Amino acid sequence: MNKKIKQSLAIVTAAALAFGLASVSSASAAAKTYTIGYQGPLSGGEASTGIDEQNAVKYAIKLFMAKNPTIKIKLVSIDDQGDPAVAGTVAPGIGTNKSILGIVGPAYSGATIASLPYYKAGGLALISPSATRVSLTDPASPDFGSPVFHRNVATDDKQGPALAKYATKGVSNAKVFIFDDQSAYAVPLAGYVTSGLKSVSGASLVGTDSVPNTTTDFSPTIAKIKTSGANVVIYTGYYSQAAVFIKQLRDSGSTAVFAGGDGVFNAQFAVLAGASAEGSRLTGVAGLADVGAKVEAAFKKSMGVSSGVYAVEAFDGANIFLNGIKAGKTTRAAMLKWVNSYKGKGIGGATLGFDKNGDIAVGGFSGFTVTKGLLKNTGPVK
Amino acid sequence: MKIRNYWNLRDWGASVWEGANRTKRVAIALTAIVLVALLPFAGASFLATPIASYDAVLVYPVGIFVLMALGLNIVVGKSGMLDLGYVAFFAIGAYTMALMGTHTGLNTWEIMPFGIAFAMIAGVLLGLPTLRLRGDYLAIVTLGFGEIVRLVVLNSTWSKGPNGIANVPMPPDIGPLKFKLDDQKVFFWVVVIMILLTIWMIRRLSVRRPGRAWEAIRQDEDAAELMGVPTLKYKIWSFTLGAAVGGAAGVLYASKNLFIAPEMFTLNVSILILSCVVFGGIGNIWGVVVGATILGYLPDRIRFISDARMLVFGTVLVVVMNFRPDGLLPRKKREKVIVKKEVVA
Amino acid sequence: MFKVLIDQFWSLTISGVALGFIYVLISLGYTMVYGVLRMINFANSEIFMWGTFGTVVTNRDLFHYTQLSEPAKGFKLVFVLLSALLVSMAIAGITAVFVEFVAYRRLRAKGTNRLATLISAIGISIALSEVMRLLTASRPVGSPRVLEKLILTEVWGANIRLDTVITIIAAAIIFFILERFIKLSRMGKAIRAVSMNEDAAKLMGVNLNRVITTTFLVGGLATGAAGFFYVTVFEYTKFNIGFTMGMAAFTAAVLGGIGNIRGAFFGGVSLGLLEVYASAVLGTQWKAVTVFIVLVLVLLFKPNGLFGEAVQTTRA
Repeated sequence: MNKKIKQSLAIVTAAALAFGLASVSSASAAAKTYTIGYQGPLSGGEASTGIDEQNAVKYAIKLFMAKNPTIKIKLVSIDDQGDPAVAGTVAPGIGTNKSILGIVGPAYSGATIASLPYYKAGGLALISPSATRVSLTDPASPDFGSPVFHRNVATDDKQGPALAKYATKGVSNAKVFIFDDQSAYAVPLAGYVTSGLKSVSGASLVGTDSVPNTTTDFSPTIAKIKTSGANVVIYTGYYSQAAVFIKQLRDSGSTAVFAGGDGVFNAQFAVLAGASAEGSRLTGVAGLADVGAKVEAAFKKSMGVSSGVYAVEAFDGANIFLNGIKAGKTTRAAMLKWVNSYKGKGIGGATLGFDKNGDIAVGGFSGFTVTKGLLKNTGPVK
Repeated sequence: MKIRNYWNLRDWGASVWEGANRTKRVAIALTAIVLVALLPFAGASFLATPIASYDAVLVYPVGIFVLMALGLNIVVGKSGMLDLGYVAFFAIGAYTMALMGTHTGLNTWEIMPFGIAFAMIAGVLLGLPTLRLRGDYLAIVTLGFGEIVRLVVLNSTWSKGPNGIANVPMPPDIGPLKFKLDDQKVFFWVVVIMILLTIWMIRRLSVRRPGRAWEAIRQDEDAAELMGVPTLKYKIWSFTLGAAVGGAAGVLYASKNLFIAPEMFTLNVSILILSCVVFGGIGNIWGVVVGATILGYLPDRIRFISDARMLVFGTVLVVVMNFRPDGLLPRKKREKVIVKKEVVA
Repeated sequence: MFKVLIDQFWSLTISGVALGFIYVLISLGYTMVYGVLRMINFANSEIFMWGTFGTVVTNRDLFHYTQLSEPAKGFKLVFVLLSALLVSMAIAGITAVFVEFVAYRRLRAKGTNRLATLISAIGISIALSEVMRLLTASRPVGSPRVLEKLILTEVWGANIRLDTVITIIAAAIIFFILERFIKLSRMGKAIRAVSMNEDAAKLMGVNLNRVITTTFLVGGLATGAAGFFYVTVFEYTKFNIGFTMGMAAFTAAVLGGIGNIRGAFFGGVSLGLLEVYASAVLGTQWKAVTVFIVLVLVLLFKPNGLFGEAVQTTRA
């Protein structure tokens, strides 16, 4: 008994220490190395978003190092699980770790708000590919992220009206039902869709619901949709739930138009939902796959997986930092200045650059329609 | 089982403590406190956490976990009630701090009594109807209570729903000790002081009437009732004291994290804190402290294996529980608790 | 507020019952183990989650259905569905026995320490869910449509769909078989004996280890069957679905009176109905709150659940 316990504890401790030492030794690498970080959920329930974004960052670094063999880039994976509580624990360490020049991320708005005080104190430039909450770039809000926070994704208040317009396009006498998944992303977006709907002539809001994002049985929501007589259904949550929902909606015999925001805008949505997804209208920003089949093929060849959500945003964000390093901006202060005044082109051909609040200068949403299992770009929503 | 042959740190500690006179005891206690207070300076050693900053980890999760585990230990360890909704009190404390801190201009120390009071009121409100239930029925009801608190906060506008509350003020400086973002030593010392106060409170209560009543309730509630112990009253006391500690932890946490949102107060937190209590040694203050320290610290220490981190965590729970079912530092009175079949009978 | 409930009453009721039957099967996993060990098997939610993957793997990898392929018909449909059901049950059954072996057996042999066992079970459920997360790269997994969701008929304005009907009937049959097994078979009697009085059962020559392993196995089989129905109806699974479904099923078990097989039945069905009605009337965001408030009220008046007493004889 006695021995066994000692042994088991010794093994656990030894293993932990061995791992620890290994990590420490790998951390102290050569001098000509520069470090950037990616922050987002890399474990936990939201991990797929973070993994997709981080893959795009890794891809950008890979391309950059192939072109610039004299510069080595090290990527620090900052796993905040998309959870503000975890972000509050990791951010102080990152904020004071001066070797990190900039961060692509944080991916989630809640985690961003929890991290911001530390990054502001550390003067660490952030370019988030997916934190869309309006307050982050609103000077009047307590969460205002300037000067360190930037994002190259359009905000909820721009997407809301675009989604409202695109969802009701060509539907005469549109009766709209809006529901969200209770998340910090979906609830505000639903609010902006609702207010955007007012400027669409002939459209009216006939019902709402708020469905926890762990739900798979949508029958009460579908009952509500049927009772309300809606012919347009807008969901502001994420693609996995949307896929489960749209199947149930179609199986129930409803033919109402289904529309979703950039949380649903994911190739996986069409894969998961199969034939039911056909004709769904999504707003989002063009992805790598949309940028060009060639780019996507190169990505897949290099990374071994397809590109995922916010890949373009993460890729472009990483490139802003990498170009900065190439231009000799190797302190945080220089990097922050570089990012604030950056002007360049993204992989999709869009102009990259941030206004004084950290928002991307130009940026809009495109409408996509699911056609034969693929997301087909129908051009910017006007 | 022969206690001498047992790999037993707890008995060794107890024998040293009992063999010491008053001066020696004071010396031991002071040394221990000083060593703990110096912990944040050990950041450059093998203790350092990759990615997360070491002194921040010491405050949360480690310090706050120890505090909450001590609070939960009053309920689960001392009086033997299984509470799976402890996070509710933590959330109430945190939201009290966030709402009052952003709306009233009171500082952390002034809000602390409110946070504790609200948590205690919630404890009484929940306890009165439910503490008549036993065992696993109590577990599910408390679990439900924890979820209800989170969902109400999530679905309400006064709490800003899923957006959470940002810009919670930091505590005001205490003399020369300044609360800083990039250096959280002062936070750590404050947590340590709160932990010491809690330990002091539990130790005082344990040797007095409430402690004896809890012990009796834990061992056999019916017998205790028959012997004239007002069980419901003492159960509610234990519940409320646990809630108070949870509320205090919540207030401090909100003031440290500066931002709180409903997603931070899920059932997982309750389960994690319960794991800390049982892992360390249920009912034994030092065991609980050790357990919470390890479980709070471990996930951040092993961040370099980021992918399999929680897998390791789960495996450690299984392995340690199997080899040391009474926890790393089990409680002293080793009577086997007869709880096997009391629920349905 | 009640407009939806009145307008869509029957269609809500049918989906509530179907959902309820899935809960019934999962809560059997909880209730059987509870009956014998007096312990919440916290890992049952992850046993369920592993069970759902059994059906996905069968449909997708064994029979090579894809999202775009036509649903199966006739004899092949029955064959595929039955294989998926069996694979799910087998995977969940094996997982359950594994959980018993790793997280429970050693602790049980050392004498009962309920909380240590609870934490050990929590540990194994974290590990099980993490392994699946790593295997699926944290992504949701869709199951191809094998069973066409035909609308069979319309009753009082509600669509009666094939998958719902199959779920309700098949789940009822599985429940009935298990109930008979517990009631009539030799092993079932041994399980009941252990749940009534462990020591006496041991003295009567019951092999305790075998009984407990069988209990976990049977509970796992039921939970695995629930996994099959879940995937057949929702065509979706993810590494973290266990938690929500497990919580609901556990609530159902307590509502009905945990440790009691018939309690699990009524608890599951009433919970399914309660959930859809509450979502329709109050909004889905208040579903969980309503469920817990009802649970507390029930427990206040019937502290052992709806069927907690009076059924000592049929207790599993």
